[in-house]
Amino acid sequence: MAVSAIALLIVGLGIVAWLAGRARASAFAAPGKPRPHSLPGQHGWYVALWTVVPALLFIAVWSNVSGGLVYSDVIASPEAQRLPAFGMQRQAILGEAYRLATGASTTAFNPQARALAPVYERAISFYWWIGLAVAALAAFAGGAFAFSRVSPKFRARTRVERSVMALLLLASLIAIITTLGIIVSLLFESIRFFGMVSPVEFLFGLNWSPQIAIRADQAGSSGAFGAVPLFWGTIFIGAIIAMIVAIPLGLMSAIYLTQYAAPSVRSWMKPILEILAGVPTVVYGYFAALTVAPAIRDFATMVGIPSSTESALAAGLVMGIMIIPFVSSMADDSIAAVPQAMRDGSLAMGATKSETIKKVLVPAALPGVVGGVLLAVSRAIGETMIVVMAAGLAANLTANPFESVTTVTTQIVQLLTGDQEFDSPKTLAAFALGLVLFLVTLALNIIALRVVKKYREAYE
Amino acid sequence: MSDAAGAVRAPTDWSGEAMQTRIRRRYAAERRFKLLGLSAVVLSAGFLALLLVIMMGNGIRGFTATELKLDVDFPASGLMVSEASLRGPNPQAALASVDFDSVIGRAAQAQYGPQGATLFSGAARLALRDALLDDPALLSRRATLWLPASSALDQAAKGQGNEQIRALHDQLAAQDALRTGINWTFLTGSDATDPTVVGIWGAFKGSLLTMLVTLALAFPIGVLSAVYLEEYAPRNRWTDMIEVSINNLAAVPSIIFGLLGLAIFLNFMHLPRSAPIVGGLTLALMTMPVIVISARNAIKAVPPSIRDAALGVGASRIQVVFHHVLPLALPGILTGTIIGMARALGETAPLLMIGMRAFVATPPGGFTDPASVLPVQIFLWSDEVERGFVEKTSAAIIVLLVFLLAMNAIAIYLRNKFERRW
Repeated sequence: MAVSAIALLIVGLGIVAWLAGRARASAFAAPGKPRPHSLPGQHGWYVALWTVVPALLFIAVWSNVSGGLVYSDVIASPEAQRLPAFGMQRQAILGEAYRLATGASTTAFNPQARALAPVYERAISFYWWIGLAVAALAAFAGGAFAFSRVSPKFRARTRVERSVMALLLLASLIAIITTLGIIVSLLFESIRFFGMVSPVEFLFGLNWSPQIAIRADQAGSSGAFGAVPLFWGTIFIGAIIAMIVAIPLGLMSAIYLTQYAAPSVRSWMKPILEILAGVPTVVYGYFAALTVAPAIRDFATMVGIPSSTESALAAGLVMGIMIIPFVSSMADDSIAAVPQAMRDGSLAMGATKSETIKKVLVPAALPGVVGGVLLAVSRAIGETMIVVMAAGLAANLTANPFESVTTVTTQIVQLLTGDQEFDSPKTLAAFALGLVLFLVTLALNIIALRVVKKYREAYE
Repeated sequence: MSDAAGAVRAPTDWSGEAMQTRIRRRYAAERRFKLLGLSAVVLSAGFLALLLVIMMGNGIRGFTATELKLDVDFPASGLMVSEASLRGPNPQAALASVDFDSVIGRAAQAQYGPQGATLFSGAARLALRDALLDDPALLSRRATLWLPASSALDQAAKGQGNEQIRALHDQLAAQDALRTGINWTFLTGSDATDPTVVGIWGAFKGSLLTMLVTLALAFPIGVLSAVYLEEYAPRNRWTDMIEVSINNLAAVPSIIFGLLGLAIFLNFMHLPRSAPIVGGLTLALMTMPVIVISARNAIKAVPPSIRDAALGVGASRIQVVFHHVLPLALPGILTGTIIGMARALGETAPLLMIGMRAFVATPPGGFTDPASVLPVQIFLWSDEVERGFVEKTSAAIIVLLVFLLAMNAIAIYLRNKFERRW
């Protein structure tokens, strides 16, 4: 007897209302009579909307309110007077009784819970019936009101279309709400975090060890939240190593596919490169951890460099591979946007194809390519699974690619795994890191789009 | 006049030695550059091939299982169950409390020596139970059964593991006591601690439920807001804000959506942890901008003449869009939706944030049950130290990739078949 049952009933009533409204309108839409303003179906929709929307709105409110009403009813009952007044146990008994009453469990540990279960059950069904009655009343009242307005002159279409517009606007507001939700939730938790740890220490501190000691007198019990090693690790893997792989390979692939390759080769190779972009990141992460990282470690040992298994190089290399199609498609677009006349001019002067590409096309397409690279960097530093699986957890401040570094996203995952207490700086630090990540990727995207836009204006 | 005479340039001597060398050098540079481009393409494709080959090579073994022969003398085995109860209306109940492990253990020790019991996997019990359910007559005689071998023996059969177990494997193989079959458990089971009994069905069902929630939310919201922005929105600050948010959301790292889901859906709204409904909500927020952007492009591609014609014969602006523009834009919208859903299906990071990394040993029964999804299952198995999980991880990756490829293929097919160039 859940709320969904009432909702289903209302939808059923809506269908009936639609049929009734349409039937009534069809009666006066018969040939020979003056033409009504709206089609019968539109009248049907009008009646159905009046039946369903108020009732559903009521249900939405009721499902939030009724829980509290049931609770206060149970507390007021004589059975509940015998409950211990003391917090924890009282809650446990009430929870158990609730589970018994809703059928979520069949056994109760506490005899008091068993006594309370029927009270709970009575209260739940009482308020369910009230909800059902009011919802049905709302549906019937709304439906009757709308039904009484159905007449040849009534402008049902205008009304229905106005509600459709409201629905469209509502749908597009979800994007704003989501953005606001991200900003508010990140900011809210970050502000709580910065209440415990100073922002200066977080942004400029060189020491990261978020473990909180179990005993208060233990050394370093407050944890250290200097995020610079994380920022460095993120930049090192995502913006340096990955880009060293992705920029040359992506750019050269784009140049070869657009300038040299036969159309048949191009039509085959482009989708293959796109598959690289479609492979889930967890697969790349597994590839990095299983194949690339051991290979790099063996190689390093062979040439005599001490290397950690979870080297920055492995994660960066695989991330670079993942980014190749991204860079290549951005470069492809911006090279294609260079006016044909510039290419023709260069070729007519006797330059070879490669000279044209190097001296004319690439410089002309450079802003677009740079914009694409910035977008690729923003994609790379926000990437999570590859670094979680292949990069380490040690917050090292090193430029040696064979050593292990950690990144912002790895630490977010690490901090939020396991038991979470939402008042410890360890958990809240994840949100502060998330906020930094969000702001940096946002800035990169805005700059990249500016660069690309500015460049497009120059040639069109 | 002597100046003018000096200014007359001799024509370039193209056949001269210096010029020929220069041209040769330039052509060589041209060839080098072209080769460089080709090698970049080949290298990129090579990485993809390498990745696929390695996953295939490891994963294909995950679909097979090694079985070991076991002679069980049922009448002497002390099984506390009668043939009549198995033929009765509720045979499962009759077998529920039977101790199969000790039956297998005793029979295995009799056949393979004191270590015999360790040669069988935990799934052997289930296999024995199913065999009895299939044929209750077994209880009255001595029978030879093929039961799943232990993970170590299974790995030895696939060429892994240490010398000792491989020697044992060779010895057993020489006795014809081993055979290899398709690992059905892998397709029907759920997560477990023993690699021979793990399966992907639980995670697959979790993925399915999560994707249903995502589709049910992201598709209507995405299409409706695309319609609004493309067809009706007035040019003002609000509209600009909506557009900016959608474009930004499309570029926000996926893990941020996980943080949002954790803060809003779990901590604020108190929805159940690890549940497909929360995963679906989070992924829907992530997928919606992708759908909006592709739907806008598809709607934009419908020529204005169609709108004008519909308006001209008296359709209202809503009718123009819902009767004419949307049906024509639908193939493009569906293509974008499938691509967005494929991305959501492969997404891991936001789901880790909302607790979907828990160990879930039973397939979820509904949208609010604890569940895992395929990519998270892959992540969890990749963390396991036991050797047998390597092939299971790769096999799960194969399943995931097959689904993603199929979805993308459908998207490409839809695009080619239905998309109209105006």
